[in-house]
Amino acid sequence: MAQASGADVIDVGYEIGPLALTLSGAEVKRYALAARMFGGRFMGDEEARREGFSAQVVPGNMSLSLLSRLIGRTFPNGVLQRLSATFRALIHPGHALVVRGVVTEVHRTDHGDVLECDLVIESGDGERLVTGTASVQLPPAG
Amino acid sequence: MKMEVDPALIGQEYDHTTFAPVTEAEIREYVEASNEIPASEVDVEDLIAPPTFVVRLRGRRFMPGGMPRMGRTGFDAGKDIEFGVPVRPGDVLTASSTVHDVYEKTGRSGSMAFIVLRTVVTNQRDQLVATIDQKMMFR
Repeated sequence: MAQASGADVIDVGYEIGPLALTLSGAEVKRYALAARMFGGRFMGDEEARREGFSAQVVPGNMSLSLLSRLIGRTFPNGVLQRLSATFRALIHPGHALVVRGVVTEVHRTDHGDVLECDLVIESGDGERLVTGTASVQLPPAG
Repeated sequence: MKMEVDPALIGQEYDHTTFAPVTEAEIREYVEASNEIPASEVDVEDLIAPPTFVVRLRGRRFMPGGMPRMGRTGFDAGKDIEFGVPVRPGDVLTASSTVHDVYEKTGRSGSMAFIVLRTVVTNQRDQLVATIDQKMMFR
């Protein structure tokens, strides 16, 4: 995955990612415990079925964290000012995901550029599971 | 789905929780579980929590009393977080929650009710850590 270097000038249309990954059930459970989300749906397939789901569910907060991971990996010196996400469909472990984004606005300021970004988590076949936006403050050039 | 929400509930604080000091272990657990910051890039001298660490805060009450029953099933439909200062070990965080908005929508799958819960998180220096809008959907 490409990482923007300090020397890069980021413009509208700059592509963020992609970050390709497949979450395992164990990773999801570990995240849920760390995030203090103790619902059975996050713990495993059997517990999720008892709550009426077809399989273990990835918490929305974990999707939010994936979007933050994408921003952090792409702009390691940037500061995340705002992050929003709309959870459009349930995500289950074991399926390929692609996390990507694009810069939609650049605001040049004396304190560095502020980037507005559109973000998405897609399934392997391109279904938009989570959509989001982020504002990222970059440090001043030089 | 007809909602009859007491307008007085909007904007009224329904939870105010001050948490135990954030520990280094809690931050490390979240770093490792989320992989939001690569472990190799964690600054051991100045450990700060990944941005979404704040979503793990749970107040005493998730919803205000007096809300009408809104459908059979509730889902987390989304979040919008504005970040302030980062969280460090030893920080004492306080979360104040209000009902920010309630509205209905009709989509292809029928009528849905939404409630937006706003939680403002501050630290022991009264600095803003995050404003979290959580949108819950009921159908």
